[in-house]
Amino acid sequence: MKYLVATIIVLVLAAAAAGIFSYRMSCEPMLHAAAAKGDAMAWLRADFHLTDGQFAAIRQLHQSYAGTCEEHCRLIQEAVRARDALKASTAADPSAAAAADHKLQELRLTCETAIARHVRQVAALMSPADGKRYLALVLPKIADFDHTVAPDLRLNHPH
Amino acid sequence: MMKCNSMNSSRDPLAEILRRWRVTPPAEPDFRSSVWRRIGRESRATWSVYLRPHAAAWALATVVTVSAAAYTGHLTARAQVRADREALVVNYLVDLDPRVQAVFKSPAP
Repeated sequence: MKYLVATIIVLVLAAAAAGIFSYRMSCEPMLHAAAAKGDAMAWLRADFHLTDGQFAAIRQLHQSYAGTCEEHCRLIQEAVRARDALKASTAADPSAAAAADHKLQELRLTCETAIARHVRQVAALMSPADGKRYLALVLPKIADFDHTVAPDLRLNHPH
Repeated sequence: MMKCNSMNSSRDPLAEILRRWRVTPPAEPDFRSSVWRRIGRESRATWSVYLRPHAAAWALATVVTVSAAAYTGHLTARAQVRADREALVVNYLVDLDPRVQAVFKSPAP
């Protein structure tokens, strides 16, 4: 009986060790650390095997894009405010509201095109395989993002 | 009654023989110590002695259990990697996407 219990204990310990070892071998600690810190640039560097030169060039590209992003952000906010004001007014002109909606959609499309162009430039700085993987991860999200921005995100973001 | 008994004893010599029969086994001087030796052998049986008759069953149980645990560990790690990557892509795009930033920066209703 004691040997039966001992054998079961050894088996459980061996299974636990195999599970932990397999977990350790399959997980990506740098990715996990970047996610825990919310550090997207660290993720970019680790996940896409960027050299120091590539990383610096991408960082530079992001910084230069930040101005475009700010301007788009301001234009979208203004368009949203204008459309909401039109819709809220009692004597709302349906054609003016539709035009405001249309303008907002155009701005969003312009923005989406600009981001897609930007990420393609970033991908071009990576190795071909990593660039392809980066685009496969990022481009579908850009297309979906406009529809998936949850209002509660507003509370969590430092902007 | 007496008559009946005397009749039995006169008719059945087997009963008389059995009554007189005495077994006198030869004394075995080593009997006690050999019993204790056998008890000692059983109590000192090693783990390998226990496992040997069940070797196939335990080997199968080990392979199945360890493989299942390793596979579960692998799946858990991959799920973790996917979740981390998903969170990082969203985090990355939030910083790039003016449409999202417009939502963040606009005053709360």
